[in-house]
Amino acid sequence: MRRYPTPRRRLRAPGVGTVLKWVLLGAAALVMLVPLYIMVINAFKPQEAIISSPLAIGPDTFSLEYLQAALTSEKFNVVRAYGVTLLFVALVNVFGIALAAPVAYVIARGRSRWHLGLLLLFVSGLFIPGQVTLIPVVFVLRVLGLINTIPGFILFETAATLPVTIFLFAAYLRTVPRDIDEAAALDGAGKIRAFWACIFPIMRPVVATIVVLNSISVWNDFVSPQIILGPGSGIYTVTTGVYAAVGEFSTDYTTVFPTLLLAVTPAILFFVLMQRHIIGGLVAGATKG
Amino acid sequence: MADTLTVVPHPRRRSAARVWRDRLPGIVMGGPAVLVFLAMFIVPMFLAFVLSLTDWNGYSLNFTFIGLDNYAEAFRNPRTVDAAIFTAVVAFFGTVLCNGVGLTIAALISGSGRANTLMRTIFFYPYIISALIIGFLWSAMLAPEGAVNGLLGHLGVPPVPFLTEVAFAKASVILTIVWSHFGFNMILFLAGIKSVPTEYYEAATVDGASRWQQFRNVTLPLIAPVFTVNLVLTLVGLLKVYDIVLALTDGGPAGSTQTIVYQILRDSFAQSELGFGAAQSVILLLVTAVLGLAVTFARRGAEQKVAD
Repeated sequence: MRRYPTPRRRLRAPGVGTVLKWVLLGAAALVMLVPLYIMVINAFKPQEAIISSPLAIGPDTFSLEYLQAALTSEKFNVVRAYGVTLLFVALVNVFGIALAAPVAYVIARGRSRWHLGLLLLFVSGLFIPGQVTLIPVVFVLRVLGLINTIPGFILFETAATLPVTIFLFAAYLRTVPRDIDEAAALDGAGKIRAFWACIFPIMRPVVATIVVLNSISVWNDFVSPQIILGPGSGIYTVTTGVYAAVGEFSTDYTTVFPTLLLAVTPAILFFVLMQRHIIGGLVAGATKG
Repeated sequence: MADTLTVVPHPRRRSAARVWRDRLPGIVMGGPAVLVFLAMFIVPMFLAFVLSLTDWNGYSLNFTFIGLDNYAEAFRNPRTVDAAIFTAVVAFFGTVLCNGVGLTIAALISGSGRANTLMRTIFFYPYIISALIIGFLWSAMLAPEGAVNGLLGHLGVPPVPFLTEVAFAKASVILTIVWSHFGFNMILFLAGIKSVPTEYYEAATVDGASRWQQFRNVTLPLIAPVFTVNLVLTLVGLLKVYDIVLALTDGGPAGSTQTIVYQILRDSFAQSELGFGAAQSVILLLVTAVLGLAVTFARRGAEQKVAD
């Protein structure tokens, strides 16, 4: 016999709908988390144990040797790749912001058609897929003698960040009152110095958003470093390194899982620490763009 | 802007030198960004078109113009046609599923409270992991001896050829993309849902609207702009899907999961036919622009209703 809840009970006990909702969400959450769990535990197990019992881990099969082997692999130096990728992330952020902030200021303060045209020019970059320009970019970099070099790669990645950065910066600067420009001018600072000394510090929130967005896209980019730096350059980012290390051994799980774990850990840590900024930044970037 | 403070006696008769002196800071501030952008975006875009008319191999700077041959080849070449069809299938089902799942889950977890925030984190996290790594992870799990088949085996289910049979491989590519991407759509939907003023729901409750009716008649129309952004971003993004395919199936089995960008990069760099690759890129750019604009305009109607 089914008992119907009295109205008073219904207030306290969750309804059927709520229970169903959380059962559904719980099942979906499992689908999201199990792959992560599988990656983590199988990074510490031998091949046979990975295949026979992918979800289990016990003291008899646990071993640090595979993770250590991946850390010290000659094919893919993970620690070096962390450093190289971090360096690229930092350089692209510095150059991208140094280029975008002043031009966004000029656009935001300008009143002529030229300034609007300039904004439209940069925004058009939002609609040009990177893969489309990659082939001719190789041509341009070859002409400039920058193909397979770090400056060439930084140049391309920096340019790729400009459209979103300039768009968000200009939108933000429009909300900064002109009084501040005038106060800076009164102090006798030149326009350029006034911008960096007085306006740029006010842009901190939008700069933080852009740093988050650019860092994720540079860290995760695979095609551009693969094509522009090329395997011949010997410079590997985390993604191109993973491709070099895992691509050919994809059935040797004792290489696959530890390598993937090492590649993913910094991104996950960054996500856990910066979650609010990441989500806020993505929403701002998508809805304002 | 310094003009507003200095007294300019004859503003209309400023000398040319004076005009340029006033413009100089603007040029110094804007110039470098414009130069970099021209060199890495605008010039390459036009070059893509020029190169698409040539037989450039990517190494030498010598090549000959061959007219529209590359374009004719793109429509004739069965590999390109198959890749274009598969890309369209991925873009269509990927966009529908990412937004369907994203919206459903966003609606379920739009309340405040820790449990909802935790769910948001769990559904979103794959988005910040490189697509290449997502591809390798699922490739390891969906392999014939992988974790998923291992689990199915414990349940007495015979192994499923997730990556080795054409239909399964295609579905695996789409579902892996949805797994890693719907969290992004969900985040945007959540932002949209949370920006709906609560008074609207209160008014609807007074009118006796059920939860579903409220969602249907209040939430959905009000988040129409977010919906458009989600559709356009997902569609445009999926038209250039590559990394995840490379890692998951490497275009296989038998080339059945090659996407158009996979094709472009292979022709361009592995086959050294950059002219042909450029022609396919130009076609992709046009298709992307047309579809992106078409969806934006088609959605105008839905957004207009809100404004009225």
